[in-house]
Amino acid sequence: MYDKLWLIPFFPLLGAIINGLLGKRFIKNEKVIGAIGTGMLFLSFLVSCKYFIQLLGDSVKSHQNVIASWMSVGKLQVDWGFLLDPLSALMIMVVTGVGTLIHLYSIGYMHGEEGFYRYFSYLNLFVFSMLMLVLGNNALVMFVGWEGVGLCSYLLIGYYFEKKSAGDAAKKAFVMNRVGDFGFLLGLFTLFWALGSHGVWTINFVEITENAHLLSGDMILGASVTTVATLCFFLGATGKSAQLPLFTWLPDAMEGPTPVSALIHAATMVTAGVYMIGRMNILFAMSPTTMFVVALVGALTAIFAATIGFAQNDIKRVLAYSTVSQLGFMFVAMGVGAFTAGIFHLMTHAFFKACLFLGSGSVIHAMHHALHHAHLDDDAQDMRNMGGLRKKMPITWATFGISCLAISGLPFFSGFFSKDEILWWAFASTRGNKVIWVIVVVAAFMTAFYMFRCLYMTFYGEQKTNPKAKDHVHESPWVITLPLVVLAGLATVGGLIGIPHAIDIAHVGNKLNAFLAPVFHHSQELYKIEAHGSASTEIILMVFSVAIALAGIGFATVMYMKDPSLPGKFTAKFPTLHRVVFNKWYVDEIYDTLFVNSTKKLGIFCWKGFDVKVVDGIVNGIAKLVGALSSVLRYTQSGLFTNYALTMVLGTVVMLAIFILN
Amino acid sequence: MELIFFYLIAIVAVASGFLVIRCQSPVNSALGLVNTFFCLAIFYVMLHAPFMAAIQIMVYAGAIMVLIIFVIMLLNLGTEARKRYTTGVVWSAIASLLVLFNVMYFIKRGRVTGAEGDITSYTVESVGHVELIGKALFTEYLLPFEIASILLLVAIVGAVVLAKKEV
Amino acid sequence: MENLVQIALQNVNMAAILPSLVLTCFGMGLLLINVFLPRGTTRHAVWISVIGLVVTGFFVYTGWGNPQYGFNDAVANDNYTAFFSVIFLFAAGLTILMSDDYLTREGYPVSEYYPLILFATAGAMWMASGTDMLTIFLGLEVMSIALYVLAGFFRGQLRSNEAGLKYFLLGAFSTGFLLYGIALIYGVTGSTKLTEIGIYLNAHGSLLENPMTLAGLVLLSTGFLFKIAAAPFHMWTPDVYEGAPTPVTAFMSAGPKAAAFAAFLRIMEYCFFSLKPEWTAMLWVIAVLTMVIGNVIAIQQTNLKRMLAYSSIAHAGYALVGLVAANEIGYSGILFYMLAYTFMNIGAFAVLVLAGKKGEDNLTLEGFSGFGLKRPFLGVAMTVFLFSLMGLPPTAGFAGKFYIFAGAVKAGYIWLAVIGVLNSAVSLYYYLRIMVYMYFRDAEEDYAWVSLPAAAVISIVIALIGVFYLGIIPGDVMEMAKMAIF
Repeated sequence: MYDKLWLIPFFPLLGAIINGLLGKRFIKNEKVIGAIGTGMLFLSFLVSCKYFIQLLGDSVKSHQNVIASWMSVGKLQVDWGFLLDPLSALMIMVVTGVGTLIHLYSIGYMHGEEGFYRYFSYLNLFVFSMLMLVLGNNALVMFVGWEGVGLCSYLLIGYYFEKKSAGDAAKKAFVMNRVGDFGFLLGLFTLFWALGSHGVWTINFVEITENAHLLSGDMILGASVTTVATLCFFLGATGKSAQLPLFTWLPDAMEGPTPVSALIHAATMVTAGVYMIGRMNILFAMSPTTMFVVALVGALTAIFAATIGFAQNDIKRVLAYSTVSQLGFMFVAMGVGAFTAGIFHLMTHAFFKACLFLGSGSVIHAMHHALHHAHLDDDAQDMRNMGGLRKKMPITWATFGISCLAISGLPFFSGFFSKDEILWWAFASTRGNKVIWVIVVVAAFMTAFYMFRCLYMTFYGEQKTNPKAKDHVHESPWVITLPLVVLAGLATVGGLIGIPHAIDIAHVGNKLNAFLAPVFHHSQELYKIEAHGSASTEIILMVFSVAIALAGIGFATVMYMKDPSLPGKFTAKFPTLHRVVFNKWYVDEIYDTLFVNSTKKLGIFCWKGFDVKVVDGIVNGIAKLVGALSSVLRYTQSGLFTNYALTMVLGTVVMLAIFILN
Repeated sequence: MELIFFYLIAIVAVASGFLVIRCQSPVNSALGLVNTFFCLAIFYVMLHAPFMAAIQIMVYAGAIMVLIIFVIMLLNLGTEARKRYTTGVVWSAIASLLVLFNVMYFIKRGRVTGAEGDITSYTVESVGHVELIGKALFTEYLLPFEIASILLLVAIVGAVVLAKKEV
Repeated sequence: MENLVQIALQNVNMAAILPSLVLTCFGMGLLLINVFLPRGTTRHAVWISVIGLVVTGFFVYTGWGNPQYGFNDAVANDNYTAFFSVIFLFAAGLTILMSDDYLTREGYPVSEYYPLILFATAGAMWMASGTDMLTIFLGLEVMSIALYVLAGFFRGQLRSNEAGLKYFLLGAFSTGFLLYGIALIYGVTGSTKLTEIGIYLNAHGSLLENPMTLAGLVLLSTGFLFKIAAAPFHMWTPDVYEGAPTPVTAFMSAGPKAAAFAAFLRIMEYCFFSLKPEWTAMLWVIAVLTMVIGNVIAIQQTNLKRMLAYSSIAHAGYALVGLVAANEIGYSGILFYMLAYTFMNIGAFAVLVLAGKKGEDNLTLEGFSGFGLKRPFLGVAMTVFLFSLMGLPPTAGFAGKFYIFAGAVKAGYIWLAVIGVLNSAVSLYYYLRIMVYMYFRDAEEDYAWVSLPAAAVISIVIALIGVFYLGIIPGDVMEMAKMAIF
């Protein structure tokens, strides 16, 4: 029944291959290339729909489809296999659905770009990898996808490779992701070994879930095995999902084309970390320590990124920091045991953030054309050049506005339901924590504020665009606005599948909760993770969070609509604070200083007159450290035969001496 | 008597080995090497291996050294080529000390024993050295012996390739 | 006299040396035929040697699952030999295919090049098949001498001369160690047969305390670790790899390294199994040192050949991890890794060959600016090989590393696996840098790029197929590797 699951990733792969191989020489036509790319994904979406519906009506909720054996190591058997359960079913719907819309959008947005075929080929390849990631039935297939999305992200960020900043951003993203991947692999090895010591050699997710209880009580390095393994996995998640301390790559990743930012750096890839925790929820549930770390890191990231969002003027950067912050919300959800809420927020976030990014893309697209038309070099992404676009671009304005309402958490928009459930769990869960709740509430307030700041600066007030270009700003074509409308619709009603019990007057029930229960219920029950509190408390909190959101919106309205001079006064009053926030808390600089300085010290210590220029080409700080060591070691390579021979003798003699001393 | 003789030859061998690396003139070095080979040949004789001694003198002290001296004479090395490398003296010293330490340890342990093979000094004297080696080469070590012929072929081809004038 | 003939013939079993015998015959035949072949081109020699390799491959194939022993236990044609022989044959074949055009381009169309490679391959096969110290030693010498000549093959180029001379001197030096080790072991056990040595050492437990055994073990290891290019015996590698003609470097980095592993592994398992705790402890240190030194120094390199030289040191370190693990997965992992490494590394070198021009000026990172866009096929191929060298799925390198580290984890060497994974994370940096130059930099000047000769393209395609086959369905080959180990 579920034996055609492989079709889902297969179609995008096919699209990538066709466009990649034939696009440049044979197809050439933009429309055909775009149609192939979008069509393949749409097919995959249809297949996903079929299996999704089939799964809804099926009483067995977990199905595996093994295509081929991959490798066997001792008793460990690894397959190329897929797993369809409610969690992955939801994810493939989001990935293929949102993915199709963004592909469609790209046809309009990338029109006339050099390397159009390359773009679609990469984008298809990305979706393929992402589907491997979410559908894989074992950690290695997931890792293939995990690496694949990282690679495609790298390629797409560096799409405009003529720009140096794009190349650097791509490299930064890749290296930071690799730090995370290292954590992932380490976690995998620990888990593999720990389960193996109980005679269970497996990395299949279903089997891991079944056998996880064996690990309770196992210790390694003075901590429980599950804690060590899950912390390693979480390190992987922080890299991929841009959490503290590995978040700096995501804002830089905005160098890529805007649809890419929407698809990869908002809707899908960056949520891979959240998905991974959901996939291995039982292991995380076993370790309260890790859960707390996850929640804390999530909360801190949420508020930290939100503050930076205050002072950015580049529209895409605001959205980027907003994404980092919202991912923090999801991690809070995972950390307090609200797995369903985390996945719920992942889904709603995919809708409204994709819509926001695409909306910003529509604006940038229009601005770019207008500025280009007027032969101006003004920054098409700077919000200070915008304003008053409401009349010029009504559809974009409306959809962008709806998404802003959704992300701020106004009642009955999708974001309201998911965010509220996270807040409720943070407050009332057995794994929750009041401090975390407070942090998240403050972050929610900030979110409402900076999103409306962004909305007002872009669409309201006077148009501050250069007069020459002013009148050339037009609404975008239908391929761009159609996805916007669909996504805005989803951002509005998407939350209705998860209505909380307390306000469920019509008794439709929390559909999502019931749907995902087969995946999460087991561990929540086993390790007593639940949110308990009266319905009245829940309603009071709900009202409170709505009030907070309204306060944020009101604050923004006062500052950017009623009295536009206020922000200037504010900045003048707290210049230091503004400067620090504007410069993103100097995180990039701190990383640089930290690693560069230690490199210098090591260099001087190890080698007098160490030439800093030797390591000039090295961008990454950690690599710099290794680089310093490298250049010291390099001096052993003198080129003199006698020295080499001497080293051999020394090596042998030392080996012998060690033997003797033992 | 034999012991005294051994020490005498040993001292000569080490001293001429030292000369090889310390002499200013390459020819003198080469002569030092010849001397060392002779000393080794004497050791073989003392170990009841007369055939090895003969081979040692004929091949090494004879053929190979003549070649080396030929080359030295033909190249007529200038003074700069005679300069001795002095890099890594400190490390060599450390290596030497470690070697000394290892050897001292071996001597202290003093349990350097091993299995006794089929062929002893007695068999060498009774059957004859050449016969024994010949038999070993054509029976037990037949394959390695044949491989050695390929080895020589490769060496010859290599020499020709590297030395040929035109391509 | 008749008696002697009988004694000798009793032990002759041609089936035990059939593949290497065929290969040697082809080598010698080619030497003779060369005289009559037209000068100035080496095309005929290429195809004759490829035929030779294929025929040899056929005899290797027929030998699978049918172990043959002979020559008084001097040689064994078992599955282990067959598996490694396949590695050598692939290494030689890919090298020969990429050499033809290159030699002509560089102005040395000398056909003796090919018999030398065939002899080196035969030597490698004797190393893998030898069950007697002397067979292994002579195999090593045949292989090495051919390589010394090949490294210095471009007589007119100073760098090539230097490479040949350095390799020769240091190689001879290391051979001294090896031979001394063999002599000491012979002194202890009274035999050069691997099995007999093992039985003797196992039976005489007190002998393990014998300093002579330990000294023999260490000296023997030095000899092999030199050929493997493990630290601290790796110093020759960068200089020799850089100076030698590129195809020769490709061959050296794969074939002989695998051969040294083959012999080393067999000796360790046959002779010194009773000393396992001792030598695994020693190799643990060596493996870590090798991985770290290889990867760390590679970061600083701007010459691609040198970079790949250090990378090959690092890969030797990964393979040594399998030897330290000393279990089924670890050993079969080494076999698998060597095959995978042959494909990916020779493939990368083949791209380098085609990227170069006369005088090999185009081996620097700078020279690769914009390469991926100017030469799409070579760019993609290089990307695949680099990914495999990094160890990313779904390429051969990933599967290989996975097996080896899984073996280490299973044997309880968690930290070793961790260090290995960390090291491969470091290695990403310099591999990635090549890709950054290939795709994200503009070409500074337009080179007259070398046209793509068919033979070299075939070699790259074979390597690509190998990399993907071993990466996507490594199961079959791994099963064979498991059948091949003892």
